[in-house]
Amino acid sequence: MTFDTSQSSIIYDSARRGHPAVEELRQVYQYRYLITQFVRRDVLTRYKRSVLGIAWTLLNPLGMMVVLTLAFSQIFRFGDIQSYPAYVLSGLLAWTFFSQVTTAAMVNLVWGGGMLHRIYLPRTSFALAAVGTGLVNITLSVIPLLLILLVTRVPMHATLLWMPIPILLLACFSLGVGLMLSTLAAFFPDVSEMYQIFLTAWMYLTPIIYPEEILPEYLRFLVTTFNPVHHFVKLYRLSVYFGRAPTLDELLIPTGIALSFLIVGWLLFTNKADEFAYRV
Amino acid sequence: MNLLTESELSSQSLLSPKDVIRLEKASVRYRVPQERIGTFKEYFIRRIQGKVKHRSFWALDEVSFGVQRGEVFGLIGQNGAGKSTLLKLIARVLQPSRGRVLVAGKVAPLLEMGAGFHPELTGRENVYLNGAMLGYTRQDMAKKFNQIVDFAELWDFIDAPMRTYSSGMWARLGFAVATDVEADVLIVDEVLAVGDDAFQRKSAERIEAFKEKGVTILLVTHNMSLVKQICQRAAWLDQGKLIDIGSVEVVVDRYLQSVRDKENRRLSEEQYDNQERQWGSKKIEIKSVRILDETHQPQHIFYTGQPLILEIDYLANEPIESPVFGIAVHRQDGLHISGPNTAFSGLNLGKISGEGTMVYKVPHLPLLPGKYYFSVAATNSDDSEIFDYHDRLYPIQIDNLDRGINERYGLITLQGEWHHNP
Repeated sequence: MTFDTSQSSIIYDSARRGHPAVEELRQVYQYRYLITQFVRRDVLTRYKRSVLGIAWTLLNPLGMMVVLTLAFSQIFRFGDIQSYPAYVLSGLLAWTFFSQVTTAAMVNLVWGGGMLHRIYLPRTSFALAAVGTGLVNITLSVIPLLLILLVTRVPMHATLLWMPIPILLLACFSLGVGLMLSTLAAFFPDVSEMYQIFLTAWMYLTPIIYPEEILPEYLRFLVTTFNPVHHFVKLYRLSVYFGRAPTLDELLIPTGIALSFLIVGWLLFTNKADEFAYRV
Repeated sequence: MNLLTESELSSQSLLSPKDVIRLEKASVRYRVPQERIGTFKEYFIRRIQGKVKHRSFWALDEVSFGVQRGEVFGLIGQNGAGKSTLLKLIARVLQPSRGRVLVAGKVAPLLEMGAGFHPELTGRENVYLNGAMLGYTRQDMAKKFNQIVDFAELWDFIDAPMRTYSSGMWARLGFAVATDVEADVLIVDEVLAVGDDAFQRKSAERIEAFKEKGVTILLVTHNMSLVKQICQRAAWLDQGKLIDIGSVEVVVDRYLQSVRDKENRRLSEEQYDNQERQWGSKKIEIKSVRILDETHQPQHIFYTGQPLILEIDYLANEPIESPVFGIAVHRQDGLHISGPNTAFSGLNLGKISGEGTMVYKVPHLPLLPGKYYFSVAATNSDDSEIFDYHDRLYPIQIDNLDRGINERYGLITLQGEWHHNP
């Protein structure tokens, strides 16, 4: 079906649609303007009624960082970490991106799904908009990050320039997870509540507020091997905090994880999406 | 109900070159879980036990027909007949479980006013957002923007957040965006019923403009006079099945007849249901009461202004001198509207005995739509003895569905006429 109204000879035929995963890609391209509008709406409305407005996007991670710095570096002391604030902030930014994007993908579909009963929209637009919003936020948060690096005298390396690579890989991974969760949440509404508890546990199992070296040996092995988020957090930190190029493994493993989650999530979601209009 | 034969159905499913929509045995099955299973644990346990039970029903059952380009087509049927499901198929919101749906061109749904607006965004931002949901690009919207705001008459407020809008402004902007579409097929689902009279007129004008442009319009509404007024053809759905399709006059009349038949059956069952509300000395018994229309057919559904005849068969078990027969009309909540009797009309029946029939003729029922009950009674001449009393036993329904009778304030019509002397 076309959206160029002059070509109305093109026929929509329910019996002759392509593979849903491919068809969805085509529709997402057609509706790309809608997705940018969704992102715009989410970014603009989030803090619209507060005085500082969008500045909260920057102040939020900073506030978190201050609290965690006070709590952990003063009370517990993790020993030989150079600039704990920069360490924790870089980890938090990556984690916040992941947790916000996956939650929003799911919640947008469940709450915004009413629209799906009324008009046709590509079903992935909710998840894609969530990723878009996350990307805007993490891009803006480069400002507080650089500020903290400066203030705490962490040397800035040229590796900062390839920061977009870990972010994009993390975006692919988050989209994949978000689509899987959305599919589940469409059938089991309790998933969105359960996921919040799950996220809390997941965060503590990821070296974000503590260095991975403090983990006991067996746990460290499990976390660094089987916790997919860890690979992305680490890659991001390599670029902005450690300032060292990743090894081939450190790059290829997260790439592989990101692409597999994205493909599986996309296939699962698009294959089940026709049933959403019956459910959501 | 006259179901179409297989051959009629299949002949209608042949797509002529003029068809813009075609449904071929389109079916939609909803699966409703018998009980709500909200957690995985529960789901998996039951899955393993084989206890996930679904009740499935066909919201649409092998519906086949075509709609031609430029046609105004009505979908009628009672709630739950499958009309909205059918619209969803055409709008691509649902995929058919079986069968096939073909649509040539762009389908635009006329959304409920302002669905999808965000209160924190300005009117301008919401126009763009809503346009994007309808599948338009930024360039499309830049072209449309001025005429949308012109139509909504909201230039003064277009950059204010929509939470500051009145509900009327909100609806105006919603309507302006929703109807500013270029489409081959326009789907109109009950929205014409929204808003005040002026608004309904405005929306009717827009529909008319679409009609002139040659846009195919699919209309779903319970307003049968509107369907007759603007549609050329109509399809009647009942419980997911296509019952009838054809010229709007014929289909709507058959549909309304079936609704009346059903309602008549229900009301006449109700009539014989109540023995407790009869009392009296039975010196005169009221044996039966018939409510008839002007053709002397038993009827329970009337329209405002229609003639009504009430026939009362009585049996006087002993000779009675000058009895009085009376009736009373009550609204459903018991309000006593009218109480004519033979004495008020100066009719002295003299001495009666044995069987007979009293007839009361109403030339034009003044009652406005609603449900009313007749009571029937026979008393002696000075009302000191009740022979038989049937208290509110005979229901009638006033229904002006497709009669073009608009009067609806109050209880009755005065059947007056307006004149203007400038």
